Amino acid sequence: MTVKEKNTPQAGSIFQPTIGKIVAAKMLTAKEKYFRVVLEGGKPLGQKPGQFVEISVFGAGEAPISICSSPTQEDSFEMCVRNVGSVTNLMHQMEAGATLGMRGPYGNGFDMEAMKGHDVLFVAGGLGLAPARGVIKYVLDKRRDYGDVTILYGARNPSELLFKEDLSEWEARPDCAFHITVDRPDDAWKGNKGVITTLFRHVKVDPSKTYAVIIGPPVMYKYAILEALSMGIPESRILCSLERRMKCGVGKCGHCQIGNVYVCKEGPVFSYAQIKRLREGI
Amino acid sequence: MKVLEKSRMRDLLAAIMAAGSRLVAPVEREGSHRFAWVDSAAEVRLPDITCDNTIKEFFFPRAERLLTYKRAANRVDITAPAVSEAPFVVFGCRPCDAAALDIVDRVFNWDSPDKTWNARREAATVVTIACSRADEYCFCTSVGLAPDSRTGSDVILLPLESGDFAVETVTDKGRAFVEKYAASLSDQKDTAAKIASVPQKADATAAAKWLKANFDSGLYADASERCLGCGICTYYCPTCHCFDIQDEADGLSGARLKAWDSCSFALFTKHTSGHNPRADRPSRWRQRIMHKFSYYPDLFGVISCTGCGRCGRMCPVDLGVLETLTAIPGEDT
Repeated sequence: MTVKEKNTPQAGSIFQPTIGKIVAAKMLTAKEKYFRVVLEGGKPLGQKPGQFVEISVFGAGEAPISICSSPTQEDSFEMCVRNVGSVTNLMHQMEAGATLGMRGPYGNGFDMEAMKGHDVLFVAGGLGLAPARGVIKYVLDKRRDYGDVTILYGARNPSELLFKEDLSEWEARPDCAFHITVDRPDDAWKGNKGVITTLFRHVKVDPSKTYAVIIGPPVMYKYAILEALSMGIPESRILCSLERRMKCGVGKCGHCQIGNVYVCKEGPVFSYAQIKRLREGI
Repeated sequence: MKVLEKSRMRDLLAAIMAAGSRLVAPVEREGSHRFAWVDSAAEVRLPDITCDNTIKEFFFPRAERLLTYKRAANRVDITAPAVSEAPFVVFGCRPCDAAALDIVDRVFNWDSPDKTWNARREAATVVTIACSRADEYCFCTSVGLAPDSRTGSDVILLPLESGDFAVETVTDKGRAFVEKYAASLSDQKDTAAKIASVPQKADATAAAKWLKANFDSGLYADASERCLGCGICTYYCPTCHCFDIQDEADGLSGARLKAWDSCSFALFTKHTSGHNPRADRPSRWRQRIMHKFSYYPDLFGVISCTGCGRCGRMCPVDLGVLETLTAIPGEDT
C-alpha cells in the first residue's frame, strides 16, 4: 500500500480565508492605496481597533495588513496598503469589484474599555497612521466616552501624507487637537517642519489621566516613547503597536515571535511597560 | 510479560498492514536510515540509534495543501482538501522522537487548534523502541528525558538481551494495539531490559535560568561564527515547527501551501519595511536556543528539545544546540 499524499481535514481549519469584495479603491499617495472591503454575505468583520487581518491574493499568498477603519463602521472594513511585496503589489493592481481572501481579525487590539474616560494622545508616524486611524475614528465616533483627544501626525514629506480628508476633518473639529509635521517640506508647505517629536512642544497633557497611542516605524518609537515618558505618562498607559512579519496570525508559525511572546496573539498592541521587557521588541 | 520476538517483527508489521493500517517505519535508502511510508514489511530496517529524519513529517508535512483556488474575472473559488485521515502506525521511532509529538501538541493547540495536526495525532499509534545504544550526539538525559522515556508513545518496546522486545502499553490506544496484534506477540518470563546509558552532558533546566539572565551573552556570537545559516538543524529537529504559508500558482489556479520554515534564515523575520529584528546570525542562533530552552518552557511548560542530537549529527559544521548548552558557564557537568 503506497500513500504518498493524503487528503487532510482542512475545511473549517484556521487557515481557511473568507472571501471579500473590494467595493472602493483609490491611490492615497504614489505608494499607498486605500481599499474598502465587504465580506461574503455582508457580515461585519467585528474587529477591535488595532487588530489586523491576513489578506490573501490567490497566487501570491498572504500578507498581514492593519485595519484602518473603526468597528463602528460595520458594513465594511478599510485598509491602507503600501506597495512593497508580491501580495501588496498585486493588491495595487486591484480595483473595486475584485475579490480577495481574508483571515482574521487577529491580535489583541487596543483595550478601548480601559481607555474610556481618559484623555488620548495619538502619535502616528508614516504608515502608522493606518492602524492609528481605526482607533482615532473609534474614539471620535464615541467621543463622549473619552476625554481630551490630541492627534500628532508626521510624514517624511507632504506628498506622503495619508488620508488628507480625515486630516482636514480632524484639523477642523473643535473637539480634538491636531498637529502635523513633515521632515522635508516642499515650497508650498506652511506647517511644522521636523520629525514628529518636534510636535510634542505644542502639546500639554494631564499625565494622570492620559493614554498615549504611538504607532510608527521602529525608529520613531524610541524617541516618541521618551517624549511621552518625559510628559509623565505612566509606562502602562503608553501603548504601541509593533510591526512584525506575521504569517499565520494564530501563534504557531514563529515568524512574529519576540521573546516568549507571539506578537500576532498577545500583540501587536503592547504597553511600554511590556515592551521594556521584550528584547528585540523595537 | 508480552514479548515481540525479534524473528516475528516482520510478521507483526505485515499483520498491521494486512489489517488495513498504513505504516511508517525505518527503511534504508541511499545508505541512510529514514522513517518512511512502507509498502511491505520486508523493507523495514531498524537502525541501532534513531533515523536521520524525524517522524514529525508524518504529522506536519514538509509542505501540505491548505486549499486550492481557481480565479476568474472578479471571482475566486476555493476548495479545501477533503477530510480523511486513515489510521496509521508509526513503528520503531525512539523515545526522543515520540516525546517531540507531545511537545509540539502544545503550540498547535493553544486556543486555536490545528485540526490537521490533531487528526493525524488521533489517527496514529506510536510504537516506540527504547534505545539500547546511543552515539556521542545523543543527549536525552540532559533535557529531562531518557533512552526509555514513555512520553508520546502508545506502546514502548524494551530491548532484551536476547534481541527480543518486552512490550509495554503506555496509553489506551496502545492497549488496543497490543490486543489487536496479540497473535504476533508471545508470553515470556519477566527479564530486565537492556537500556543504553546516556551520560548527562548539561542541565537544560538550570541552563534556562542562565539564558534568561544573559540575553546579551557573547556565547551566541561564538557559537554561530561557523554556522552556515542553512537551516538543516531546524528541518531535522523533531520539535521545530515554524512554517511559512505560500501560494503556488499555475496560471489562474493554484494551491496554498503550509511549508516548513526556519528561524535560521535572515528573511524569516524581515519586515516589508526592511526592518529586521534578527538581522544577524548570533541573534538567530540565540532565538533558536532561547525558543527551545526559555520561551517554550515559559509558554507551554516543557523544554522544546528531546536531546535526539540530530542538530549536531546532521550539521555540516558539527554545530548542535548541545554545544551551546554545554558552553553555558557552570552547566558543563
